[in-house]
Amino acid sequence: MTSIRRTIVVLRAFWQLNWLEELQYRGNFIASLLGTVFWLAMAMLTVALYFRHTASLGGWQFWDVVVLLGIFNALAGVVETVLRPGIGHLPSDVRSGALDLVLVRPVDAQFYVSFRRLDVWRLADVVLGLALAAYAFAQTGRTMSAWVLISFIVTFAVAIAVVYAIWVALMSLAFWFVAVENMAALFDALFEAARNPVSAYPGALRFLFVYLIPIAWTTTIPASALTGRLQPALAMWALAVGIAALGASRLLWRAALKRYTSAGG
Amino acid sequence: MPAAIVATDLSKTYDVKVRDPGIKGALAALARPHYRQVRAVSSVTFAIERGDAVAFLGPNGAGKTTTLKMLTGLLFPSSGRAQVAGYDPWTGGNPFRQRIAFVLGNKQQLLWDLPPEETFRLNRAIYGVSAADFSARRAELVELLVLGDLVDKPARQLSLGERMKCELAAALLHQPEVLFLDEPTLGLDLEAQQTIRTFLGEYRQRHGATILLTSHYMADVTALTSRVLIINRGRLLYDGELSELVARIAPIKRIEVVLSEPVPRARLEEYGRVAHFAPPSATIEVPRESATAASARLLADLAVADLSIQDPPIEEVIRIAFGEGAQDTDAEPETPVRADVRRAPP
Amino acid sequence: MSRDASPGPVASFRDQYGELMRSAFLIDLQYRASIAIWLIWGITEPIISLGIWWSIAAAGAVDGYTREAFAQYFFGVALVNQATLSWDAWNIDRWIREGEMNYRLTRPIAPIHEAIADNIAYKGPTAAIILTAWIIAAAFWPAARIPFDPGRWLLAIVAIVLAAAIRFLNGYATGLLAFWTTRATALVELQFGISLFLSGRIAPLSLLPPRVVHIAEYLWFPYVVSFPVEVLTGTVDTTAEYARGFAGQVIWLAIWLLLYALVWSRGRRRYGAVGG
Repeated sequence: MTSIRRTIVVLRAFWQLNWLEELQYRGNFIASLLGTVFWLAMAMLTVALYFRHTASLGGWQFWDVVVLLGIFNALAGVVETVLRPGIGHLPSDVRSGALDLVLVRPVDAQFYVSFRRLDVWRLADVVLGLALAAYAFAQTGRTMSAWVLISFIVTFAVAIAVVYAIWVALMSLAFWFVAVENMAALFDALFEAARNPVSAYPGALRFLFVYLIPIAWTTTIPASALTGRLQPALAMWALAVGIAALGASRLLWRAALKRYTSAGG
Repeated sequence: MPAAIVATDLSKTYDVKVRDPGIKGALAALARPHYRQVRAVSSVTFAIERGDAVAFLGPNGAGKTTTLKMLTGLLFPSSGRAQVAGYDPWTGGNPFRQRIAFVLGNKQQLLWDLPPEETFRLNRAIYGVSAADFSARRAELVELLVLGDLVDKPARQLSLGERMKCELAAALLHQPEVLFLDEPTLGLDLEAQQTIRTFLGEYRQRHGATILLTSHYMADVTALTSRVLIINRGRLLYDGELSELVARIAPIKRIEVVLSEPVPRARLEEYGRVAHFAPPSATIEVPRESATAASARLLADLAVADLSIQDPPIEEVIRIAFGEGAQDTDAEPETPVRADVRRAPP
Repeated sequence: MSRDASPGPVASFRDQYGELMRSAFLIDLQYRASIAIWLIWGITEPIISLGIWWSIAAAGAVDGYTREAFAQYFFGVALVNQATLSWDAWNIDRWIREGEMNYRLTRPIAPIHEAIADNIAYKGPTAAIILTAWIIAAAFWPAARIPFDPGRWLLAIVAIVLAAAIRFLNGYATGLLAFWTTRATALVELQFGISLFLSGRIAPLSLLPPRVVHIAEYLWFPYVVSFPVEVLTGTVDTTAEYARGFAGQVIWLAIWLLLYALVWSRGRRRYGAVGG
């Protein structure tokens, strides 16, 4: 555990530098904010277009789907802020040999690689997404309760854990297939499925996105918590899945590293 | 026949956005950008005859690359004119491009993921080289550059030196009349540097190509050419023979001796300035004209095991030249140190 | 010094394209795993859209679109989008930022030809892969079958080629704004977002509000995806519809060609003034 603590100290120093560096690029903040607003608008228009031709999407009303969309955007913001700049660089680090420099440090390599760099401006995506979810929640006419809030926070944390585990899994493939450098694009493609509630997909697709690559759940379950659809049993299951995902990511990382070091880099 | 490269009063001025450091500066620059005019190249005039090789020397940011970019048609001059292979580089179009090659040491055009042979094929088509010419030239370049089977390995697997050799081959398949080289040996190992120097000399001999190169390495210069252009802060400070520059700027010779008996430093100072003293060897600087006499006296007076007379190292001469040039531009901006052999365009 | 005997402009142009396409294709082969991922990325959007519209159409046809019609439409979108998508702005951005534009400008061939050859070498094979996937899907799934009509398919090929040319010139010319700004790629992304709706990528154009469709008609967006897809699926059927669609394509091709020529000559001058 001391290794984790030391890693946090090292990371904090990195984040400070990172923050000072980012301050130089305020233009990026404006640009990324405009980008987020634009893509949010496109997503809202898409949902609006669906609802021009239907009254509900897989049993979800318009504002319910917008709640989900807000959560999707917040989760995407977490990906952009932490995962893409951090563990997303793993494949290029493996190829360039930069990973060796990490491995010789007295830090927890997985922790360090995952959180070394923050794209702080993209936190705006998280804020905007949650704000949209809150607004849409108000529009649904539901009232906030302790159970709703707690179950949302827990399931959203689980969603982050699952998305993180998927990134670790995809990026670890770099240890086996050095030639593939756009694994992140594979995530982007699959994550598109999480824009809609799982119940909106027909049979074959539901099987693909919901069971084979259970990515659609990452937004559906937290959105269910906010829209009164979450059964306590499902919440428990989600929690178990989140913990299992973190455990699995750790095991996978170890296996990948073992392969890396035994192959002599 | 007109000269291969003619630059007449060539100047280039950039508008550079001025920005104070920090967030305040960034925001102020966003609101009301300030521009400062920077003269990268200032009234540069020279001419290079067909088949000549000339080295372009100067510290980083002196204006060498900007001048090369104007001569290759990448940039257009703010004022003045350039003529290369009979064309105005900026308006010469494809007929002009057919006649030149521009090799940048830090930016390779070899297809990174494919063997150099593929880049050769591509350049053959791009420059419209006939099949017969292509195979003859390819064979010659492969031989002169000792490429062997390097041409069949993906470029990314080659060493820096191997890549630069292939880069040169790719750039010469269309047999350009004028060859511009920007730091062609930068960062290469000694052996690769040597191969490239020898190659460029040999290639020029065979094909009468005109070469203008910039380099940090004096060995590139001394191996290839006797004529140098020295530029600093955008101004041409010197155009002429390297040896004359040495003679004028540093009119000294260095006598290197190895003594067979210990001699105190003070004793050596009777002959000239002792630049280096590490018994049993020492280096004494003497005025050029008295070098022979001083050597004779040394040999007569002391127990000398070995003695040689040499020019001061070029690096030092250049450094002195830049030092003088810098002082001179401050004092009297319009006249450079003096380019004795400055050749006016026809 | 002897100059090479010129083999004639047409032959030498064909030679240049042949070699440019060859090297582009060989490089693509090295990156085949990455290309497979880009293909997956490219088809998820139409697959997800199809899934949603399929569910919505469970209650009955949506403005005339049955489930089967949606299936055919989005298979068409997957194919046409793959064959017409332009990523050239990102290449130009890199060429300028990393100084790779310089040697391209000293060669006796304009950089756009390299981009065109690269596009053909990439889109030909990858579109063939999507088409094969469609044929396999249609073998097992009747909903994905379009009517057997070789004459119409031939016209669809023409429409796809024109669409690819428009979208390429649009992307390339926008990308050339990198001569002035570091955010040229953002402008391409903006158009990509708008094209979700106006090109009919998210839904057939006729399902959009009439006012939006009306705006789209004055832009090039409908001609780069929606029109070729509707030729393929048979939604475009009358001679008048064909004439209007092809005329629109030709007009927009000419407009973007002009815009390209303008931006290129201005940009080249700007680059000559300030460098990379």
